[in-house]
Amino acid sequence: MSVAVAQYAALSRRSLVTTIRQPRAFIPPILFPLMFMALSSAAFDRTTQLPGFPPSDSFLQFLICTTIVQGALFASIAAGSDMAHDIEEGFFDRLIASPVARTSILAGRVMGSFVFGFFQAWFYFGVAALFGLTVEGGFLGMLGVTIVAAMFAAGIASIASAFAIRTGSSEAVLGAFPLLFSLMFISGLFFPRTLMDGWFKTAATINPLSHMVEGMRAQVITGLDVSEWLSAVVIAAGFFVVGLTLASLALRRRLSVSS
Amino acid sequence: MQGTDGHVVAEGLVRRFGTIEAVAGIDLVIAPGEIFGFLGPNGAGKSTTVRMLTTLLRPTAGRAWVAGYDIVEQSDAVRRSIGVALQDAAIDPLMTGRELLALQAVLHGIPRSASHDRGQVLLEMVGLTGAADRRVGTYSGGMARRLDLALSLIHEPQVLFLDEPTTGLDPNSRFAMWEELRKLNRERGTTVFLTTQYMEEADELTGRVAIIDDGRIVAQGTPAELKAKVGLPTLQVTMGHGQDAIGAESILMRFGEPVPAPPGAAAVRLEGGASGVAAVVRALDEGKVLLEGLELHLPTLDDVFQEATGRRLEGAEPVTAEPEGQPQR
Amino acid sequence: MSTSEVTWGIARRSIVLITRLPSAFFPSLMMPVFLTISFAGAFSGIVELPGFPAEKAIDWFIPMTTIQGAAFAGITTGMSVARDFESGFYDRFLASPASRASLLGGTLLAATLRALAPLCLLTFVAVVAGANLHAGAMTIVVLGVACLGVGLCAGAWAVGLAIRFKSTQITPLMQSGMFLAVFLSTAQMPIHLLTGWLHAVARVNPVTNVLQLARQGFLGDVTWSTTWPGLVALAGMIVFLVGFAYRGMQRVIP
Repeated sequence: MSVAVAQYAALSRRSLVTTIRQPRAFIPPILFPLMFMALSSAAFDRTTQLPGFPPSDSFLQFLICTTIVQGALFASIAAGSDMAHDIEEGFFDRLIASPVARTSILAGRVMGSFVFGFFQAWFYFGVAALFGLTVEGGFLGMLGVTIVAAMFAAGIASIASAFAIRTGSSEAVLGAFPLLFSLMFISGLFFPRTLMDGWFKTAATINPLSHMVEGMRAQVITGLDVSEWLSAVVIAAGFFVVGLTLASLALRRRLSVSS
Repeated sequence: MQGTDGHVVAEGLVRRFGTIEAVAGIDLVIAPGEIFGFLGPNGAGKSTTVRMLTTLLRPTAGRAWVAGYDIVEQSDAVRRSIGVALQDAAIDPLMTGRELLALQAVLHGIPRSASHDRGQVLLEMVGLTGAADRRVGTYSGGMARRLDLALSLIHEPQVLFLDEPTTGLDPNSRFAMWEELRKLNRERGTTVFLTTQYMEEADELTGRVAIIDDGRIVAQGTPAELKAKVGLPTLQVTMGHGQDAIGAESILMRFGEPVPAPPGAAAVRLEGGASGVAAVVRALDEGKVLLEGLELHLPTLDDVFQEATGRRLEGAEPVTAEPEGQPQR
Repeated sequence: MSTSEVTWGIARRSIVLITRLPSAFFPSLMMPVFLTISFAGAFSGIVELPGFPAEKAIDWFIPMTTIQGAAFAGITTGMSVARDFESGFYDRFLASPASRASLLGGTLLAATLRALAPLCLLTFVAVVAGANLHAGAMTIVVLGVACLGVGLCAGAWAVGLAIRFKSTQITPLMQSGMFLAVFLSTAQMPIHLLTGWLHAVARVNPVTNVLQLARQGFLGDVTWSTTWPGLVALAGMIVFLVGFAYRGMQRVIP
């Protein structure tokens, strides 16, 4: 048992360390949401006065959880792309041939993303604080948000890994990126759902990302709200469960083919 | 010195990339109608020199004239007079052969009425009429090179620059290309400047060759002249099973200067020429040396290179097939 | 005259190549359509802000997304040039007697012409989505002028970078430059509703005037007073960016 734990730890650490060692890989996924946050907060500042806008001090306060979700999404896709790269380079096959437990291979990657998702959320809170962000839910509220971010990151990483294992191509994984970016737009991530109408509003309401980010957002703009937080957790956990299932299936198929 | 005597003249051509000196002082005089070769290993500075002469790279120092025009001051005029086919044929896989010819014609200001006919003639010359309307991405390596040759000739240039024109081609395509170039030179008097790493190519094709190593010319002349200077044939003996070559070496050394040989073999430059072989065989027999093979090599350009630089042209050591079970030295 | 032949020959190749590799072309067409749907859908509420110049979000956003599409078309032309350098194909142009100006001109002509594709597609989308074409056909004419100008500018920017770096690795810089130029202006909000640093930047950004030029027919009448600042801004950007590309071309031989 302790061997398995050691394996998990080692592969998680590798996943995290290799990401951090390639600034070109993780700096754009960090800078882009920041840039977007700065731009949108400045552009849409006046909109917080619109009737029906959730009770935020500023657009920044409204948007910070979106930025955190964006960051988690980008980084996790990159993790999936890294796994595809491992497969391309043959490192994956070396792992399969070694005594490492099969599940560790996947779990390592996913845990690495969990940790990264957690810390990048705190990073964004930190930067936003420099620009005057106040969090109504205080430290606990932020903790709640960062935990959801970590789970979401792990979920996306496992979905991306599933895709990576099935296609074995980092280009294919990165190619999914525009599609995901699109799905993000048709949601309550960038603007309140309460100010939408028609089919777009319906689509945004169906999108689970809307409810997840609104659950996170509540901790920041209203205050600690356990029921809101739980709905966010459930959705993040949902991504995680779906992702792990898909990834395990993909892994099993690949292993049965190669062994 | 202005370049009116010959079509390509270079004086002290130098090119540095940062601290690396890729071309360290090249002097050349190539007469109109010559087929001139630049022979040397990878990284010797051949491509760099060609890029300078074809105005694609500025020299760090030195001067050169092509068809009488200064490559720096009169680069436009140079470009009008030259045809260029560089390494890795610069082709667009999505275009057809015919489209590329049309584009090349436009680049050289050939009016549309003339370019179609000219293109047709060239396609026939290189044997690509059938493939002309297919995308170049479907061409084989040899076909792409042939197209590149056709493209370089569309404006009937006075000087043709070819950078490793047959590298990577199968022997048939190589011979076909050689024949094409000879014909061109014969019928049109086109000066051909080609670079190559194959000594057979230099031997077969060029009128004069310059051997280049580390950015400098180490020998220059006709292939025959250069080989005559090296002069003596090389005698190489290959040892039988289990024998090392030391015994053979010490005997051979009596007959001439030792030269590098593959593992399990010994070689010398035979003083007194090929007639000395009998004496060598007798001496080896007296020394109870068991031979597996004996070869007499007449001098090659590789020997010329080796004499000038101490290294072999094609790789560090010639590779010979080892008999089964023979341990590597 | 052979200069124009070269210019046209190069432009023609660029456009023909689009048809040969449609998979590369598709995303650049889909992107502005998608942005239109997303922006007009997500931010539809902003028209309720007091003093907002449009009745419907689609009227406000479609000119901007069309301009984006035109800019992206220009950038992809620059990306093709970078690929040509990487593959060595550009040597063919450089070793020929074709003038550097005509080589550049061909690429820029291609960039400008390629901007017509998003213009046509988004005009269709605008009509289908029921956008207000207050000024009738003139609405599309001024939008078209803006698109052609932006396509040329983005093309000059991207080609200028391609010539200097001779590698497709500079693509992110091409794209982010364009992105910043468009979004640090009135892309999302009208100037009088912007505050703080973004307001200050948008005021000096020439793209603000170009967006005003492009949008006017969707928001009201096409007038000279809302047109000439856009034309001046385009002219200024064209001079600057084409100059940038040309200077790069003069020094293209290393």
